[in-house]
Amino acid sequence: MSEQFRVAVDIGGTFTDVVVYEETSGQFRTGKSPTTPDDLVRGVVDAMNAVVGDPDAVRSFVHGTTVGLNALLQRRGERVALLATRGVGDSYFIARGHRLDIFNIHHVRPAPLVAKPDKIEIGGRLDWQGAEVAPLDPADLEYAAAYIRQEGIRSVAIAFLFSYLDGRHEQAAADYLSAALPGVTITMSHEAAREWREYERTSTAVLSAYSGPTVRDYLSRLEKGLADEGISAPVRVMQSNGGIIGIAKARTQPLQTFFSGPVGGAAGGEVLAARTGRDNLICVDMGGTSFDMSLIVGGKPEILPHADMESFPALMSVVDIKTIGAGGGSVAYVEAGGLRVGPESAGAVPGPACYGRGGTQPTVTDANLLLGRIDPGAFLGGKMRLDVDAARSSMTALAGRLGLDPYALAEGIVDVINAKMAQAIRAITVERGIEPRDFSLVAFGGAGALHAAALAEALGIAEVVVPALPGAFSAWGMLQSPLRQDFTRSWFRKLDGLTPADLDEAFAPLEADAREALRTENVEAGAVEFRRQLDTRYAGQEHTITMALGKTDLATDFHEEYRRRYGHASPGAPLEVTTARLTLLADVDFPTVEASEAEEAPQRKLPTQTVIFGRREHETARVDRDELKVGERLTGPLIIDEPTSVTIVPPGWAVAVDGFHALILTKDAAR
Amino acid sequence: MTVSDPITNEIIRNSFLAVAEEMNNGLVRSAFSPVIYESKDSAVAIIDARHRVLGQSSGIPLFLGNLEHCTKVTEEMFGRDAWQDGDIWIMNDSYISGTHPHDVTVYAPLFYQGDLAGFVASRAHWLDIGGKDPGVAMDSTEIQQEGLRIKPMKIVQGGAERTDVIELIVGNTRFPVSCTGDLRAQFVVAELGRRGLVELYDRYGREVVDTAAEVMFAQSEAQNREGIAKIPDGTYTAEGCLDSDGISGVPVRVEVVIEVAGDSMTIDVTGSDDAVRGPMNCGAVQTVSACRLGFKYLVNPDQPVNGGTFAALDVKVRPGSVLGAQEPSPCQFYFTPLGLLVDLIVKALSPVMPELAAAGHYGDGMILQFSGTDPRTGNRFIENEPHVGGWGGAPHNDGADGMIWAMSGAFKDMPIEVFETKFPATINEYAFRPDTGGAGKYRGGCGVVREYTMLLDDCDLSLWLDRSQTPAWGIEGGSAGAAPDLIINPGRDDERRIMKVNRTRLNRGDTVRLMTGGGGGYGDPAERDPDAVARDVAAGYVTPAAARTIYGYEA
Repeated sequence: MSEQFRVAVDIGGTFTDVVVYEETSGQFRTGKSPTTPDDLVRGVVDAMNAVVGDPDAVRSFVHGTTVGLNALLQRRGERVALLATRGVGDSYFIARGHRLDIFNIHHVRPAPLVAKPDKIEIGGRLDWQGAEVAPLDPADLEYAAAYIRQEGIRSVAIAFLFSYLDGRHEQAAADYLSAALPGVTITMSHEAAREWREYERTSTAVLSAYSGPTVRDYLSRLEKGLADEGISAPVRVMQSNGGIIGIAKARTQPLQTFFSGPVGGAAGGEVLAARTGRDNLICVDMGGTSFDMSLIVGGKPEILPHADMESFPALMSVVDIKTIGAGGGSVAYVEAGGLRVGPESAGAVPGPACYGRGGTQPTVTDANLLLGRIDPGAFLGGKMRLDVDAARSSMTALAGRLGLDPYALAEGIVDVINAKMAQAIRAITVERGIEPRDFSLVAFGGAGALHAAALAEALGIAEVVVPALPGAFSAWGMLQSPLRQDFTRSWFRKLDGLTPADLDEAFAPLEADAREALRTENVEAGAVEFRRQLDTRYAGQEHTITMALGKTDLATDFHEEYRRRYGHASPGAPLEVTTARLTLLADVDFPTVEASEAEEAPQRKLPTQTVIFGRREHETARVDRDELKVGERLTGPLIIDEPTSVTIVPPGWAVAVDGFHALILTKDAAR
Repeated sequence: MTVSDPITNEIIRNSFLAVAEEMNNGLVRSAFSPVIYESKDSAVAIIDARHRVLGQSSGIPLFLGNLEHCTKVTEEMFGRDAWQDGDIWIMNDSYISGTHPHDVTVYAPLFYQGDLAGFVASRAHWLDIGGKDPGVAMDSTEIQQEGLRIKPMKIVQGGAERTDVIELIVGNTRFPVSCTGDLRAQFVVAELGRRGLVELYDRYGREVVDTAAEVMFAQSEAQNREGIAKIPDGTYTAEGCLDSDGISGVPVRVEVVIEVAGDSMTIDVTGSDDAVRGPMNCGAVQTVSACRLGFKYLVNPDQPVNGGTFAALDVKVRPGSVLGAQEPSPCQFYFTPLGLLVDLIVKALSPVMPELAAAGHYGDGMILQFSGTDPRTGNRFIENEPHVGGWGGAPHNDGADGMIWAMSGAFKDMPIEVFETKFPATINEYAFRPDTGGAGKYRGGCGVVREYTMLLDDCDLSLWLDRSQTPAWGIEGGSAGAAPDLIINPGRDDERRIMKVNRTRLNRGDTVRLMTGGGGGYGDPAERDPDAVARDVAAGYVTPAAARTIYGYEA
């Protein structure tokens, strides 16, 4: 039988990563090619061709892209006209009157994605139960069509009050406009998000109308580019909700593509959890400027019902990823006589002092270099030589002002950034009533494995996992993610007295939508799951907890979950539900990957060098990762190099290579 | 590890902030009252054994340094030995905490290895604390009418809840379920704070943590002294008037005299009017907080607050004045004079801090309160909302349009869909008010219109709107913003304009049209970029007529 490939390609800022799984041999392979911003599809095709020879051998193709997010970040989206309910259309611009920086009297809101003159108010009103109070005003629609035509606007968002209860006014307006304005894209808020809160729902529709054309255009070019290469396999796209979806559907929900890169990391965590039987993982991705964290709890990623997109809200499911400004480029400085590290980053230019691009402030990377933890000749697989002298002189200058020697400062910088990252992890776990000690830490990204053992130490975590291919972990995760689609409706009820029949009624329309979606996705044979959830709270509260409906009693589960998160509960207090959520999950039938058998490890005499740990010099061995054998076990201090990552095994730690080629770091019990 | 290691100090400094942040998240997420979880009307702090703030977090900016005052006063009243491990205390006395009785402070001593090591505290605005009217009263004349008054007392003793005390408090609110929920959320916060601090002590040892705190205080103080030293020495003044206390109908004057000498600053508000009969007096402690907020706007606004932050700032308040309330002065709207006070501090210093200056903002919460029985459910309801308005222009930007006022921090307005679902009324209009932002090179932000129509009979409306006497002023040649206004039943025979009232009756079909004020303008309007004027006209923030007369703009 000839080769059969499953392919995942993830576009990053600098490189486009590809991971393929070859079904016959059961081998993963990776490739990398420079991202080509002028024509992203070319980079994707190049990356794939570097690994896959025969297009006919491609069985499936998954893609992660951030073109939509970039269009938003760079404000290069489509001009949008907004149709809103007469009298209250300014709600979108008032944006709930909210600001976060409460000590700033010069606060300036981010510019809205709709220019104010492009907001058109339309007569017609529904009440709080969805009943019509005033019919849609045809004269207003006529005016809107004329304005949109005259201005040459190509994308329209329609967001009327209470459309989450009844979309008929939005639908009627959309029908009228699509007849009057052929070729114009129309986004209805009740389709973008079937939930209450007009500002947030309008914002979701506007974001979609703003970035949709860019995303759709890119996906079409991608589809064509792949077809031109002779690929006939289904093309799917990684979504922010942690699952994948067919490219046709992705076109209709462009916002779901926004966070596909970072979410791939969480998806990788989910796969790792399933494969290795570790149910609870803290996944951390540390790069040059930012530190992303996500949790896998009970084998599943934590999903939030709402997303924040550059301070615009979007009502959609998204994997909960928290980010802080901490990375290799984080800058150390003195303020009021005290040491500070980050969140400012030296970025790529000027970059850390050791890059020799004009940076003079010491960074976390400079500190790691000076301590001997990064090999100046092995950075980026030897493609870029780091300047140790530059790192030392930047460190010496700052150390003098603090009365420290440069090596103590270097280790101090690493300690401070580690403490910040550890606190950020603590915050996301404590918020959910989770004890980090019960978790394993999964580290990836360029700098993750450099700091992981120290983070684990600070949090009392016993085990660190550095997966195979840590630089392409996102793509690896996408490759194995299930199809996922979320269906939502506002459904406001007292929980007491709800019958199974009521629930069936609540979920029936969602399940009909899900079945229809499943039909159009042409899923391979594989398990399909409809997961019912209800947003639940104590009557009178605002914040809800999204509770899975299972065999157990929802009220009991809720009180228990509430107690876990907040430390107290009020059993007996009345509960209410606000939103029904249905998640469609369809397995893509990924083959079982078997663990490799342990190999015989050679007798090693590894070269050593001096590295500072805990203010002391340690003779530390260094080894290339691809020399390590499955089942091999080594003790720290040890540094493991690979082209895109460095793993530190500190004194007192040991490392073993598991059957999936992951490095498993543990505190060395023997010591 | 040496005791004054800068690395350890920095890690501990970050940890204090992280603990406070965790506490506040816990409070906001588990509270029952919308005023806590939506309006974020709450604050938390961890405090050292000498009543200095180690770290704090707050959804509203006003609680800058009065949680530690509660622990300090308690100790003055009962002695240091009153602190016992496992106890939690509660209080809401306006003359101690400086705010209104709805703000309930819950605090606990923290013991480490048998010694008093510090305190954890939280404050949250409860939905109802008794008093003569549901929610809040706009016409109280003595503190007892505003709610149950709780002086410092133990609510948990030796780890056991005092059910008698809880019953007493809960029995005095009209919403026992929500208030009990909020109280328990505050207990949780105390535990979160305690756990966080104990972990720090375990990790580094008490001595190292305490030393890090001293270093942190010294750094903050030095940094703020540096900031003050940059302001030229001198005396700077500003004054303005509040409309009325709601009872006597007479304007109330607030006066600020700021003295900068070297690296110290004194803010003297003793020249402000005497306490008033209506519920607009503020306790001295909260006046100090407001002065600290004004200071913070101008000096190191990005830095976290701790026990060293305000060491170089002295505040002078006159007991018996509107800003130094004494028993039995009512304090329900203590924040109204503070909105003006904070604006006046910025105004006084604007000439010598040109980069940080800003024109006045609309400056009041513009509070509407509806109460009655919902005919759809037969349930009693209270709806109490502040409203957004315009902010002042600044050296490099226009003032924000329709944003919540300074005292309400990170508040969000109530969505119309949520409002109409929960309450028997509709919102017909929610829109910017054109031409309400003061003209200037950078114009003031626009106020908004929010119009309600009642869908029930026998609805009580209470109003508390201020700043029509001293609307948001312009600076550097900019004009003042428009004053607020409110009309009941506009265009009908029974139309009336009214700014403050307690429980006026509305019936089905009655309409309340609120118009909030705009912000002041910055700089000469003649210098405004013509493109900006054109954009404002197209957007409807400025009418063509105003653009022509003020900016000489022809479309």
